[in-house]
Amino acid sequence: MKNIWTIAKNTLKLEIRDKILYGIVVFAVLFVFFEIFLANLVLKELPMVKSFGLTGIYFFNAIIALFLGTTSFFKDIDRKVVYFVLSKPVSRAQFLLGKFFGLCLVLVITTLVLAVAYLGVVAYAGGGFDALGLLAIAMQFLEMALFIAFAIFVSTFSSSLLSIVYTSAVFFLGHIVSSLISDAQFIKLSGIQYFLVEVLYYVFPNLEKFDIRNLAVHQVAMPFLSFAVAVAYAVAYIMFLLGVSVWIFNKKEI
Amino acid sequence: MVQFSHLTKTYKKRNVVDDFTLSVDVPIFGFLGQNGAGKTTIMKMIVGLLAPTRGTIMINGKPSTDVAAKTKIGYMPETPYFYEHMTGLEFMRFCDELDGSAGTTGRTEHYEKILKKVGIYAARDAEIGTYSKGMRQRLGFAQALVNDPEYLFLDEPLDGLDPIGRREMKEVMLDIKKEGKRIFLNTHILYDVEEVCDEVGIIHKGKLLYAGPVKTFTAGKHLEERFMETVAKAS
Repeated sequence: MKNIWTIAKNTLKLEIRDKILYGIVVFAVLFVFFEIFLANLVLKELPMVKSFGLTGIYFFNAIIALFLGTTSFFKDIDRKVVYFVLSKPVSRAQFLLGKFFGLCLVLVITTLVLAVAYLGVVAYAGGGFDALGLLAIAMQFLEMALFIAFAIFVSTFSSSLLSIVYTSAVFFLGHIVSSLISDAQFIKLSGIQYFLVEVLYYVFPNLEKFDIRNLAVHQVAMPFLSFAVAVAYAVAYIMFLLGVSVWIFNKKEI
Repeated sequence: MVQFSHLTKTYKKRNVVDDFTLSVDVPIFGFLGQNGAGKTTIMKMIVGLLAPTRGTIMINGKPSTDVAAKTKIGYMPETPYFYEHMTGLEFMRFCDELDGSAGTTGRTEHYEKILKKVGIYAARDAEIGTYSKGMRQRLGFAQALVNDPEYLFLDEPLDGLDPIGRREMKEVMLDIKKEGKRIFLNTHILYDVEEVCDEVGIIHKGKLLYAGPVKTFTAGKHLEERFMETVAKAS
């Protein structure tokens, strides 16, 4: 546990020194504050301000998660820095988990920065303290953590570039699988075609479970059961991905 | 004592390390061989970066990849790579934390002492990204010493150093020898071997051709001449 924390802490320290990450975060904060301007000029209604803000945070966090997940772990292996780490009394599982938690810590910080900016803008636009908006941001964080776990999983067997392609594809598929199966049922798809849709549905993560932006925008509380299911789903999926990643990484010749 | 027993590593049906059996218990032992002879592969197997296809490596009677054995070893990889945004001192601390010694009192002084020993103390607070190749080699050496190891495994530690740097690093190795530590050195530079090693192991195409004292091997000839003869005979 101590080794995981050491690697996580180190990952956090190194990533927040990365100028690329700074660039994305600064741009994201500017984007959220830009809403103040838009709120006065175009977005006359509070729900529009919230929707715009939450979508912006989601978009930028997705870029950050993709950037972190597909580069950090892969770079350590590719640039052989991992030789130092794994020659110490550190297991490969500890290294991989340390990287994952470290990247999640980076994401916690960027999410908090953007959340504070968002809450400030909503309060300025007359919306007071947006607790549901905050919950929506927390749910987005869960999705991004899953996203990072997937990117690390792909990085255990492929290059950084392919990891970007695969992870982006999963991001896209993860948002359409639930509507895909509903559509398949609606048009009464059957046989092998329906089976293939089912395979997609069960294999790829259902990222729509974490999208409660519309509920937050219209001040509709998320049912506790849906919240608990989404959290359990994210934890289970992340544990599965990390478990498989450790298994592959243990067999990898570095 | 370090014992290699029938150590074999196979890649695509080719043995890059072939039934390597050897016991070493001298202060400085040098693995000598051409590029691609299998020296780095052996060292990577010692520290657990690669898994042997067959055979075992024991350090003081324990598998070299056991946590108990790993706490007693220091390893410097060939052409070390680092986290560019870290400072030298931060990297030392990071390695020490992984070795489990950080947090005890006087550790910063300990890191500084090592950095002074290898000659990069003045650059301790500079980002590693600004280090020259020679400074990186020295930092790679320094981190291997951070846990005060009993056994040091150094893969081409003198590569990239200028003549003064090579001299200084060899002196550090001889100092470490006086402290009673054991050093395993990979090199293809014969002159270094003659100067610092008590015994050598000549490796060619993954096979051990000779292991023993340098003087016995040279038998009055130049090391280079004997090395070339031995390798040519085995080819």
